[in-house]
Amino acid sequence: MKSGIAKRLLWSWRPESQREANDAIVKNMLLHWFPSTVTKRSLSFSYSFWLGTISAVLFVILSITGLILMFHYTPSMERAYPSMKDIDFATSYGWFLRGVHRVAAQLMVVSVFLHMMRVFYTGAYKKSPGKMGNRPRNWVVGIILLLLTLALSYTGYLLPMDQLAYWAMIIGANVAASVPFVGEHIKLALIGGTIIDQNALLRFYVLHCALLPIFMLVLMAYHMWRIRKDGGLACMDQVSLQHGMTDAVPASTKTYSLLGITSGIDIKVQAPSQMEEEDRILSSPNLVRRLWLVSLGTMAITILLAIYIQFPLEAPADPTMAPNPAKAPWYFLWLQELIADTTFTLAGMTVNGAFLGGIVIPSILLVWLVAVPYLDRTSAANCGIWFPRERLKQNIVFTVVILVIVALICVGAFCRGPSWVFYWPWEQWPELPVNF
Amino acid sequence: MTEEKTTGLSRRRFFKWVGGASLLAIGGQAFFFLRSCIPNVLYEPVKRIKVGLPNVFPQGHKFLSAFRIFVFKEEKGMHTVSCVCTHLGCNVQISEFSQPRKVKHGDEEVEETFEFVCPCHGSKFRADGTNYCGPAPTPLPHYKMEIAQDDGQVVVDKGEEVDKNARLKVEA
Ligand code: HEM
Ligand code: FES
Repeated sequence: MKSGIAKRLLWSWRPESQREANDAIVKNMLLHWFPSTVTKRSLSFSYSFWLGTISAVLFVILSITGLILMFHYTPSMERAYPSMKDIDFATSYGWFLRGVHRVAAQLMVVSVFLHMMRVFYTGAYKKSPGKMGNRPRNWVVGIILLLLTLALSYTGYLLPMDQLAYWAMIIGANVAASVPFVGEHIKLALIGGTIIDQNALLRFYVLHCALLPIFMLVLMAYHMWRIRKDGGLACMDQVSLQHGMTDAVPASTKTYSLLGITSGIDIKVQAPSQMEEEDRILSSPNLVRRLWLVSLGTMAITILLAIYIQFPLEAPADPTMAPNPAKAPWYFLWLQELIADTTFTLAGMTVNGAFLGGIVIPSILLVWLVAVPYLDRTSAANCGIWFPRERLKQNIVFTVVILVIVALICVGAFCRGPSWVFYWPWEQWPELPVNF
Repeated sequence: MTEEKTTGLSRRRFFKWVGGASLLAIGGQAFFFLRSCIPNVLYEPVKRIKVGLPNVFPQGHKFLSAFRIFVFKEEKGMHTVSCVCTHLGCNVQISEFSQPRKVKHGDEEVEETFEFVCPCHGSKFRADGTNYCGPAPTPLPHYKMEIAQDDGQVVVDKGEEVDKNARLKVEA
C-alpha cells in the first residue's frame, strides 16, 4: 500500500486485516466518534442530503466566528451599535467575520428545518423493528434543537441594537407578557425591567453567547449519540428488512470488559453486523472523506454568500419611532403574520393576537410536532425510505402545514407595506407622511 | 467482621433520604436562580413627569417622544394619550386625514381630522384612542394630568389612567 506523507508522519502501523482496521478506528481519539463500519446506504447523499451534518458544521462555524466577534462587541446600550459599526468598517476583516456569522445563522435555520422535513418524509422518526433504540425520542430532541436554533437567531439579531433589534425586543417582551397570569413576570425575568434597557441587552447577550450555545452543544451530542444507539440511520432498517431480519437486534459481536480488570461485567457493543459484509464499509476513509467534503462545501458556500451578500445594520435603535413597516427577519415573518391577524373578540372578551398567534398557535404546532412519531401508526416497513405510499396521508398533512408557513412568510415578506397593509408585490406603496 | 444490625435507618432508606434531599436542594436553588432574574428594584424613569407650562403647547397635538405620549390642547382643555400600541407596544403615529371624516362614537357622530396608526401590525385607533381596526385589543390609554403647585407646569402621571373624556382646564 502506498501511503501519503500524512500517514507516514502520523502512523507507526498499518492494519493487516479488516479486523485490525476496525480496531484502528475505535482506538483513534478523533475517529472513535464514528462506528468502525457503516453501510453504504446511510452515507448516500440522496437519503439524508447530509442536512444534519450540514447543520452541525454550520454550528461549528457559528461558534468560531461568534467567539471572535465577542472580542469586538460590547453589550452596552451606548456601545453596542457603534461597536457593530466598527466591526463592519474599522476592524480588519470585521465585515467578513460578521458576514460569515450572519450567513451561517440563516443557513442553519434553513438546514435544520430541511433536516426536519427530510426526517419526516423518510419516516425516520419511527422506532426500528427491534427492541433496540428509540428514534421517537431523537425526533423530540431534534425539535428542541430546532427551537434552540430559532432562539439563538432571535437573540442574535437583538444584539446590534439597531431599529430591528429594538422593536424585536419590544415585541418579544410583549408577546411573553401576553401569557395570562404569569406573563408580566416572564417579561420581567426576560428583560429585567419594564422597558428595553441595559438589563434586557445583557440578558439576551448572555443567552446568545453562553446559555443557549452550551445547551445546544450538549443536546447535539445527545442527538448524535442517540443515532448510534438507535441502530444507525433509519435507512439501515431497510437493509435489515431485506436480509429478512424481523428483529433488528443483532447478537452482540464484540465484548469489551471494563478496562480489562473486572471479569463478568461486559459492555456489549451492538453493531448490526449480522448484515452481509458487503453492505458494510469502513468508516475511515469512506465516512471521513464525505464528512470533509460536506464540511468544506458548507464552508465554501457560507463564505461565498458572506462575500456577496451585505447585511447593513438598520438605523440605531430609536425608541420614539418604529420603522414602518417593521418586519421581523424572514424566518419569523409567519409568526408576525399570525400575531397581526389573530386578535379576536368573542362574547365581549377580546383576546390579544399576541397571545393567540404568538403563544397558543405555535404551542399547538409544537405539541403536534412532538406527538407526530407517537401518532403515526404506519408499519415499520415505511421507515427510512422517501415518500412511501402508505404514509401518503401523513405526508400530505405535513406538507400542508409547511406550505401554510411558507405562504405566511411570503405574504409577510412581499405583500405587506406601511402599517402592515396588504399590497401586491407589483403595487406601489403610498408615500408616507411622517407626522406626529 | 461482625454484621452490625441496622437499627433505625436501612441503607436503602438512607439513600432515599439523600436522593430526596439532593432533589430538594437542586430544585430549591433552581427556583432561587430563576427568582433572582425578576428584579426587585428598577432604575427606570419615573412615571410622573413635568412636561412644561401650558402655554408652550400648541393648539392641536404635540408628541413627546421621550415619554411616549401625545399631549393634546383643544378648546375643552388638555389631555394626554399614550402612543404605545396596546397590541405589542410599538409607537403609534398620527395620520392626518386630507379631509375631516364623520366617525360614529356610539350614537354620536363626531368629525375627526386624524387617527392613530401603528406601523407594526397595522392597528388603527380613533382620535379618542378607541381601537377600531387591526389586532390591538384595547384602546390607547389616557393619562391623568394636573398642574404642579409650585411652578404651574403641566404634570402627566403615566401611572394613572383616566377616562377618555377627562380634560385638564387651562387658560388658553
Ligand atoms: C441543531 C440542529 C440539528 C443537528 C445538528 C442535527 C444533526 C443530525 C445528524 C448529523 C444526523 C445524521 C443524519 C443526517 O445527517 O441527516 C441527524 C439525524 C436525525 N435527526 Fe437531527 N439534527 C438537528 C435537528 C433535528 C431536528 C429539528 C429534528 C426533527 C424534529 C431532528 C431529528 C433527527 C432524527 C429523527 C434523526 C435520525 C434520522 C434517521 O435515522 O434517518 N434533528 N441529526
Ligand atoms: S404593535 Fe401595534 S399593531 Fe402590533
